[in-house]
Amino acid sequence: MRPTHGDVLDRSRQDAGLSHGELWLRYFALGGMSTALQLEAFLYGALQPTSHDHNVIAHALNERFVELGGNHPVPYDDDEET
Amino acid sequence: MIAQWLASADSLGPKVTTGIGPLADFGVAASFAGEQAVLGVRGELDRVTAPVLAALFDAVISSGYPSVLLDLQDANSIDAAGLAVTADAASRLVAQGGQLMLRSPLTENARTIDLGWLAGLINQELRGPDEDRLGPEQTTLESLTQTAPRIPPDLKTVTGTLANEDVVHGALRLVVALARATVGGADGASVTLRRFGRLATVAASDATISDMDANQYATGEGPCIDASLQGRWYHAESLENETRWPAFTPRARSLGISAILSSPLLAQGQPMGALNIYSRTAMAFAAKEQGLAAMLATEASRLLSAAHSSASDDQLTDRLQGALRTREVIAEAQGVIMERQGVGENEAFEILRRFSQQSDLSLRARAQDVVDSTRQTELDLGPPEAD
Repeated sequence: MRPTHGDVLDRSRQDAGLSHGELWLRYFALGGMSTALQLEAFLYGALQPTSHDHNVIAHALNERFVELGGNHPVPYDDDEET
Repeated sequence: MIAQWLASADSLGPKVTTGIGPLADFGVAASFAGEQAVLGVRGELDRVTAPVLAALFDAVISSGYPSVLLDLQDANSIDAAGLAVTADAASRLVAQGGQLMLRSPLTENARTIDLGWLAGLINQELRGPDEDRLGPEQTTLESLTQTAPRIPPDLKTVTGTLANEDVVHGALRLVVALARATVGGADGASVTLRRFGRLATVAASDATISDMDANQYATGEGPCIDASLQGRWYHAESLENETRWPAFTPRARSLGISAILSSPLLAQGQPMGALNIYSRTAMAFAAKEQGLAAMLATEASRLLSAAHSSASDDQLTDRLQGALRTREVIAEAQGVIMERQGVGENEAFEILRRFSQQSDLSLRARAQDVVDSTRQTELDLGPPEAD
């Protein structure tokens, strides 16, 4: 079982200075298939994203962090020991 | 940027209804900066007006704002009742790990008592030796808005527009709490917003209220939907005799709801959603409650207008088109990788993503490289099936 990503993801979103709408747009641009409402549910941990969805969200956040001069602080799913 | 509204002393919303009472000089302006709520008191804070401040404190604290700044710069006087309310709020905030701060109590307007000792008292009680954020040292409201929590100041300048939406949602949650706390007979409240072409509840006082809203979205009818789409208010005085929403009404009654008041929220004149107030008591919402609901809806609308104007429809369209173009390039590159390496769609994304991560180039740039590589060598490889 993967841990709940909700809190981590939404905190990262806030750290990245992205609104829910802005993050969804980036997620959508990367090919994300979930609606904005579903994305919010993932962020809050109310819904569990698929591994792929998680990685798309994580990458959307990480690209923002790279733009801000950071690295890829949000872990991807395959980074975790399962 | 900062949300603001006035709660009048007589809770009638004199800005909306007629009949300005003798307490019209008193008012509390609430505003929000990140995780901090600011309550600005104007006029005489005494045993008549203190309950209004108490209700606002209740609303702010139950909305989860850990830090409250009580701005007494424009308070003419404060008596024992006012102090009791303030002290009570302070102890509740501290119990929750939060804090109450005072701003500039030592002003010439503080006629009746020297408020400095109060600042000292609360300072001692709440902040211990760390006094630097208290009292007269507090800076202006404008500077507070620039200290959104968790976001370093240097990022702020980079990103330009910060999580405006968080501020708006926080404020809408507070509107819900305010509606519940201040509108007589209210057993619950919610805010519905039209987002991405559909209605959704963005704030609700409890699960029953969320269910109430969900029932309206499910049946496609109800006062909240009509108010949200038509931009006018709907009042179901008594669901027992209600005939306008035959599919929704029985569901509402089964949840014990007897009266509903939905006030429209407008952003730049366009219907954007509704503030819904529910009661278990039929005929709960008379003219006074309607006036207060209208005032809260007006203030929520102002907030939405401010947030909405930060990204015009044109800008949004441009950004959506940009996102679509990126999406197409990435899909095309995924197709190429799927064909070349015999992998599935998600695996192709993972390959692109690792490429991107290793090179610090954006995934779109990497995808473009992949697409370009095929165009240079094998023009007939083509993109994946469009359908």
